[in-house]
Amino acid sequence: MSDSKKSNVTRRTLLKAGAAMPLLGIAAPSVLAQAPLKSPTKIHDFMTNADVEKAEQEGQLVFYCHENEPGTAGIMEGFRKDFPKINTSYVRAQTGALYTKILSERSAGRFDVDVIQLSDLAPAVDFQKKGGYEHYVSPETPAYKADHLSSPAGSFFWTGVDPAGIAYNSPKVSAADAPKTWQDILNPRWKGSISCKISASGLQFVQWYTLRKLYGAGFWKEFAKQNPHAFDSRVQLFDRLAKGDDTITAIGEYPAYILFKDKGAKVEFVAPADGLPATPLIVGAVSKAPHPEAAKLFVDWAMSKRGQAWYQTNPNLYYGSVRTDAPPMPTGVRLGDLKLLYPADWDDYAANRDVFAKEWNGMLGL
Amino acid sequence: MAGYGVAAVAAVLVLYPVFFLFQAALDVGDPQVRPPTAYGFDNFNGIFQYPQILLNTLTVSVAATVMALVFGFVMAWILTRTNVPGRHLFEQLMAVPYYLTPLLGALAWSLLGSPESGFINQIWRALGGTGHLIDINTAYGIAWVMALFEGSVAFVMIAAVMKSMDPALEEASQIIGASRLRTMLRITLPLVIPGVLGAAIFVFAEMLGSFAAALVLGTPNRYYVITTAIYQLVQQYPPKIQVAAAMGVSLFAVMFFMLFLYRRIVMAGSYVTITGKAFRPRVADVGPLRYLLLGVCVLYLLAAVGLPLVTLLYASLQKIAVAFPTAENWTLDNFRVAMTMNAVRSALTNSLLLGFGTATIGVVLMGLLAWLIYRSRLPGSGLIEYVVMFPQAVPRLVFAFGLMWAWVVFPIPIYGTLWLLLLAYLTVFLPLGVRTIAGVMLQIDKSLEECAQMCGAPWAFRVRTVTIPLLMPGLIAAWLLLFIASIRELGASILLMGPHSKVITPSIVESWFGTSSELTAALALIQTLVVAIAMIVLVAVTRRVGAHPVD
Amino acid sequence: MPASLPEPPASSSPSKPHIEVDRLELYYGSVPAVRGVSFNVLPGEQLTLLGPSGCGKTTTLRAIAGLEQPTAGEIRIDGVIVYSAKQRINMRAEKRGLSMVFQSYAIWPHMSVFENVAYGLRVRRTGAAEIAERVHQALDMVQMRSFASRRAAQLSGGQQQRVALARAFVFSPSVLLFDEPLSNLDAKLRADMRIELRELQHRLGITSVYVTHDLEEALAMSDRIVVMRDGLIEQTGTPDEIYRLPNSAFVADFVGSANLIRGRHRADLDTDGLTALETPAGHIVYGMAYGRLVGAELVVSVRTVHLRISAEPPAAVQNVWRVPVQQTVFQGDFTQVHLGWGPQHLIARCAAMEPLAAGREVYITVEPRHVVVLGA
Repeated sequence: MSDSKKSNVTRRTLLKAGAAMPLLGIAAPSVLAQAPLKSPTKIHDFMTNADVEKAEQEGQLVFYCHENEPGTAGIMEGFRKDFPKINTSYVRAQTGALYTKILSERSAGRFDVDVIQLSDLAPAVDFQKKGGYEHYVSPETPAYKADHLSSPAGSFFWTGVDPAGIAYNSPKVSAADAPKTWQDILNPRWKGSISCKISASGLQFVQWYTLRKLYGAGFWKEFAKQNPHAFDSRVQLFDRLAKGDDTITAIGEYPAYILFKDKGAKVEFVAPADGLPATPLIVGAVSKAPHPEAAKLFVDWAMSKRGQAWYQTNPNLYYGSVRTDAPPMPTGVRLGDLKLLYPADWDDYAANRDVFAKEWNGMLGL
Repeated sequence: MAGYGVAAVAAVLVLYPVFFLFQAALDVGDPQVRPPTAYGFDNFNGIFQYPQILLNTLTVSVAATVMALVFGFVMAWILTRTNVPGRHLFEQLMAVPYYLTPLLGALAWSLLGSPESGFINQIWRALGGTGHLIDINTAYGIAWVMALFEGSVAFVMIAAVMKSMDPALEEASQIIGASRLRTMLRITLPLVIPGVLGAAIFVFAEMLGSFAAALVLGTPNRYYVITTAIYQLVQQYPPKIQVAAAMGVSLFAVMFFMLFLYRRIVMAGSYVTITGKAFRPRVADVGPLRYLLLGVCVLYLLAAVGLPLVTLLYASLQKIAVAFPTAENWTLDNFRVAMTMNAVRSALTNSLLLGFGTATIGVVLMGLLAWLIYRSRLPGSGLIEYVVMFPQAVPRLVFAFGLMWAWVVFPIPIYGTLWLLLLAYLTVFLPLGVRTIAGVMLQIDKSLEECAQMCGAPWAFRVRTVTIPLLMPGLIAAWLLLFIASIRELGASILLMGPHSKVITPSIVESWFGTSSELTAALALIQTLVVAIAMIVLVAVTRRVGAHPVD
Repeated sequence: MPASLPEPPASSSPSKPHIEVDRLELYYGSVPAVRGVSFNVLPGEQLTLLGPSGCGKTTTLRAIAGLEQPTAGEIRIDGVIVYSAKQRINMRAEKRGLSMVFQSYAIWPHMSVFENVAYGLRVRRTGAAEIAERVHQALDMVQMRSFASRRAAQLSGGQQQRVALARAFVFSPSVLLFDEPLSNLDAKLRADMRIELRELQHRLGITSVYVTHDLEEALAMSDRIVVMRDGLIEQTGTPDEIYRLPNSAFVADFVGSANLIRGRHRADLDTDGLTALETPAGHIVYGMAYGRLVGAELVVSVRTVHLRISAEPPAAVQNVWRVPVQQTVFQGDFTQVHLGWGPQHLIARCAAMEPLAAGREVYITVEPRHVVVLGA
């Protein structure tokens, strides 16, 4: 333990230097952040730059994640299956709350987190700026397009994509009334019986931003008139949908749809022609982590084919993978088959965070 | 002296977080920066942006208080003044809803009373009705659940009042020739009313701070009361911590005032109901009516205990919970998943550990405090009583708020650990524990301890051989109460849990908001079962211990 | 000292006081309970603090015990200062080596009778064999030996009282304090217990301080009585002195019933050591001053039992009056006769007799030695 402590100190001072660099617009050369230089090792069927032995000695991984409880537990289960000597523990909260939590902890001098997964690019970029991410370039990086990595690479990557369309309770909605386009969610027929997600949700922010760009600011103002019910998790949304507590959801996430269909729920999914808002799911190792080697190992695992397969097939996750060599999703659909809507300008997107939060919270009464 | 040491500990526990709460409420600077850069009252203006919330809180609290009083009065009357069969058993059973936790009740009643998917409404539609029979997600629905599960304190208080009434007063009326009804209206009722009024104030203050029912039943419909609003403001992104703190302080002020009123009116100064001479109340023979009354008691317990448990079981065994499931809908998956969920296993263990720790340390701490306040003659004991009863005026959630800030900056790293939860529980349960132990302590004649002194026994010897054996029943009762209270605790835990310190009741809430309701039902049942088993074991053990007198 | 007193405790000499209470004061906040009380208790004697409720007797007793904290004054036991306001000494109750019997008996319900009594010995770490012997001995003395293994809570009031007593003396304390121990018993039991307690106290020769509001008890049991009122001492003396020679109206009326007669001193009629007093109605009353100061106005006390009633004129010369009977009240063992005497009303107590008709004239007389001039 004392060994890694020593190297921790060295790495920390180096990292300070390295983290400051992006602010100056200089890309931190990877050699600065890694001391001593190691060549990647192969573990299971993927490559890692982490010291696996040390990681297992550290014996712990603390994971902050936006996913719901079974989902987060599922991710941890996958990692533990491959590395049983590493105990996992997690904290889950919706992205906005999660991000606030980690920031306030760090400002109080507490560094308890190894890896963080967010469902929104904006806080990830912000965290990168603040030097929150450990600079670590995984040997699995080449399997990803530059678009799906941090800029510069080494802070975070897209571990998956969560697209959302419209979903409805089939017994309650006839085929004729079924929604087909995004405009259909504004139909007063659904007033009081339509759901969405809370403002802390990354995906909800993406949907707000992209549809606003497409249909103008008035779109969401109209939507507010629907008195939607807002929830934290997609499982909750579909739970209510399946039982008929809500007739339709404005943000039906594809992974949840698959899960509930499996359970026998009578729900239908609609992919409007204009596209499906999608948010990247961002994973990155955190700087000043208490278990740095375990953190790096996790990142490598998550990026690997193995990890990605887990993310794609675990029923609580069903993420779409952006790995260039990823197989199709369990339903046979590839991400590429879907028309995905991302914010075109991520900076403008990030800048609108507060606007979104204010409008959305106002719509929901707080 | 050691006495002051204990008092100092209590004072720190209670006042340190309150300071931070007030600090946050008065912080008008950049919320991300700690310590605050600017102070002001602007946050309190923020409250008035949400007049609907204040109105909701009032509506729900008043409705719940009225319902609780009605239940409490009726049940107290039936169980203390009539000869309904099984009186004593029912009196014991009246405490069960409290142990079941309002969260469980809210979950169950949500499954029963949701307008679309609620079982009752499904049955209603199957019987030919249209729409829904009941909508539990409304103010009155929330109040109903609150009254059922948090209202048993009204029963206890009113029953105590009825029991302490001198039957001679009524007998005097009847000897003069007044009818039973007239006696009840002109003699009994006026005698009971001050006590009922006191109960009303107390219950109202409790309802103001209620959290679980409104969280489960109100939040989906965006129906907020002040406690759930505070929670939302803290959890949402971006969080409005300062406004939440200001709301917390306002709620605290109101509750403090109400409890102050209660203390003045009813208790004439002390927080402990000094049990004077207990009369044996006249039990009226109501003839065949008692079977009807028996039915009322059974119905109440069904609504509060039986129905919720059965509903949860019913739901937990289905894939998608409906009133009339098909054969394929049955599954044990929910239990299987629940048992493997890491959070459940560690949360349950943590809760039991914490319950044990809180109860054991709590009994010692609160025993010492009770002795200090009510038995020793140290100056300043009145002030200590105030400090110890302080947390009663602060809703748990609000208190946890202060705790959160207070202990984040504390040099010893207890933030995010079970130790923080332990501290929080010890603090918020101070009134409960001290009151229980003091009640027993005051019934012990002082001369019993003085006599030991006169026999030459020094303090420690006396306490060991006389005080503790006499207190033992009270200490055991307090232990059990604290154990249960800490396991069912929600408001404080939900803000203070960390990755390594998950506890069961907030975990159930998390599950409700993050997974399917069937899974949540399974979780809730597992929790109830474990607690019930723990309770049975404990009661059995303590009964065995209590049976051997000290020699 | 009467010759019947047993040997005093070895630790103190016969004439040196065992307990000294010196100008004791006790205020609860600003409310006075004891306002300056001084007295001594001699070794082996029973001193009783007598007075109405609220007079401060129990407070004083508890102050001696160490269960109350006085405000001023000093208390010494066997010469050792256990409390001194000036020197800021306040010895804890358990260290003072005293023993106490409480009004409520304070029997510990969770222990057996044996254990209750053995408690004081256990505190002193006495060996098991010795404990058994001494406890049984003590129980014998109070006739509770057969109850030794009973649960203490199952005893009646009188039985509990005896156990409390045994418990109090089993460890041979040098002082026994009694806080109205008999007041919770019924009248018959009280009378019996009085005698038992007195015998016990004599047998053990323990110095006792006894508190009661019951006059008969005090008179029957005490070697000396301290009469208290309102936090102060009214009179100290033997039962006989207090009864025969009260020095104030209060004591006169509290200790037995008395008629109080006011009047002018008729020094010109003083004769043979007798003091003459003229009432406003003109009656001349002869009494004795007993060394008290006689002022121009004085009050004399005449015990109701000393007023003799006769149908025929009595043989006496002084203090004879012919008065009408107003009322007779039958009281069983005695009859109380209310008589008119000028504007005043006198009461006489006689052995049971035939009721006298109201209005009937009788002769009353009282011996001058029974007419006591009261102190200022």
